[in-house]
Amino acid sequence: MTASTNPTLPPNPFVDVQQNAFRRGIDAATKAAALGGVLLTITILIIVFAVLIHGSWMALRQIGWHFFTTQAWNPVPGRDKYGVLSFLYGTGVTTFLALLIGVPLSIGTAIFITRIAPRWLAGPVSFLVELLAAIPSIAYGLWGCFVMSPWLQNYLEPILYDALKHISIIPVGKYPSGRIEFFPANLVHGGPSGSDFLAGGLILTIMILPIITAITRDVLQQFPQEIEHGAYGLGATWWQTTRLALAYCRAGIFGAVMLGMARAIGETMAVIMVIGNTDHISASLFAGGQTMSGVLANEFMEADHPIYLSAMFYVALVLMLSSLVTNVIARALMARIDRERKVA
Amino acid sequence: MRADVIEPTTNPFVGRSPGRRWISRGAMALCTLCTAVALAVLFVVLAYMGIRGIEYMTPAFFTNLPLQSPEGMRNCIIGTVILVGLASVLGVPVGMLCGIYMAEYAGKGWFSYLAQLVMDLLAGTPTILLGVIAWQLVVVPLHQQSGWSGALALAFIMVPIVARASEEMLRLVPHPHREASAGLGASKAQTLFMVILPAAKAGITTGIMLGIARVAGETAPLLFTALGNDQAVYNPSQPYPSLTLKIWQYSQSAEPAWRHQAWTAVLVLVTMVLIFTAAVRFTVRGRKVNMI
Repeated sequence: MTASTNPTLPPNPFVDVQQNAFRRGIDAATKAAALGGVLLTITILIIVFAVLIHGSWMALRQIGWHFFTTQAWNPVPGRDKYGVLSFLYGTGVTTFLALLIGVPLSIGTAIFITRIAPRWLAGPVSFLVELLAAIPSIAYGLWGCFVMSPWLQNYLEPILYDALKHISIIPVGKYPSGRIEFFPANLVHGGPSGSDFLAGGLILTIMILPIITAITRDVLQQFPQEIEHGAYGLGATWWQTTRLALAYCRAGIFGAVMLGMARAIGETMAVIMVIGNTDHISASLFAGGQTMSGVLANEFMEADHPIYLSAMFYVALVLMLSSLVTNVIARALMARIDRERKVA
Repeated sequence: MRADVIEPTTNPFVGRSPGRRWISRGAMALCTLCTAVALAVLFVVLAYMGIRGIEYMTPAFFTNLPLQSPEGMRNCIIGTVILVGLASVLGVPVGMLCGIYMAEYAGKGWFSYLAQLVMDLLAGTPTILLGVIAWQLVVVPLHQQSGWSGALALAFIMVPIVARASEEMLRLVPHPHREASAGLGASKAQTLFMVILPAAKAGITTGIMLGIARVAGETAPLLFTALGNDQAVYNPSQPYPSLTLKIWQYSQSAEPAWRHQAWTAVLVLVTMVLIFTAAVRFTVRGRKVNMI
């Protein structure tokens, strides 16, 4: 450590300015601070679970598994009954609808960006699709509630009604008789209202589209040129080559879909503004419903007696676990891609 | 290897389906159509916000309070800005420290995997649940909704966003920089503060802006925490005004004037958020930023 005392060398900015012990102290403190940040974040996640379990403890003890087989949600003291089934159903149906429409749309857009669009077009299209992700959920909600819902009610739903009125599906639910029943019901019945499962599904479609598109685009860009050229050399058409790319990238695309699904499960504001907010299980696309995050947003502040509040926390816990499972699967799939990419 | 042993294989692509060229063209058209639909949705949403927002915009919107006549949302705009500022003060340092740890200190052990997993899970937690947590941690002990509780909920959301952005930006600093710095005798901390962080400064700044853009539009975590306020109250220990909460409140009302105000508020909010997002995009052009 005599470099900077040698007059022939330029002064070294790092060495000899401080004592070694002091430098080591700064080093250790910096590392400790960084580690502290990580530990704090881990603590936050632990606190999330601790608060949710602590808050829902009473409901866990008193309601237990019946929470998942009860449809009724009646917070009137004395006659109260709490079941998450209708909210699970609402979250499930809207998420399913969003994936049903959103996944083909997103993958198609990602294929366009990576494999069809010329370079000058791909960048701007990518940027515009990412802008969709930047628009806040409350803005989608306002648009959905004052523009999309009336349009659905007046134009799309009457057409859908005529097209789908003979189709019935079989919902499963625990109905007032107390038993789980299966019965056929129409896919569309009741008047078009515009505030229903269909509207919730459509607004979620818009919100998950940019996520799935962006990740699928990134994954498709990893498709090796050698395989592509080889396929073309064998006479494959563009679509045959694209199918190879989709097959090659399937894990990543599935991860993208799971991330979109996680977003749809956790989404709150946009959905409650268009879904009708009733605790209802219906096979009909035109029936109003409620999601888990929606019931939290609407009723959490009104929960004025202990078991009601505890049931709200129970809903929150179920929501957290649903989102957790989806996220873990998504991340596991994405991690696999990262590893494969590093090996290649 | 003898060449005559190799059997002629069937080509998997040619001759199987006779219409494959037409199928290919159709698929290409379908993918283009998908893109057109996605862009059309963006266009319709933005067009409605722009047209309705400008139609109902008045100077009073920016200068008056909600209960004045003519009514405005001055306090809500200021409230959202301060709330996001407070959230940044709480969330950005923690997020940056996490990013620094994961890019510079984390090895390949179980702890790095755990840290990465926790970041991802926190990023994926529904934001309304973070509102519930902030409610339990701050509102319940103090018996009052407050700006602090809202800021805390937003800070929870910012931490993983800033952490991931910082980590990615620090990883972009070329490894030879670190080696050169160490070669001059710099300690790890000196390398970090004098070489790596200055080099990644622009990237980290944009990451923070991305986090700000994201939480500025959040409504759900504020429902039980900030609660909203019609007065020009900017003391964070009081219920706090917020643009998003006001939009939510007005959208639920039957009063046309309030709905009109909500459209203008959405236009203001979306403009703020999109300017931030576009700025991020153009400052880091060419580099890879996870926008979502």
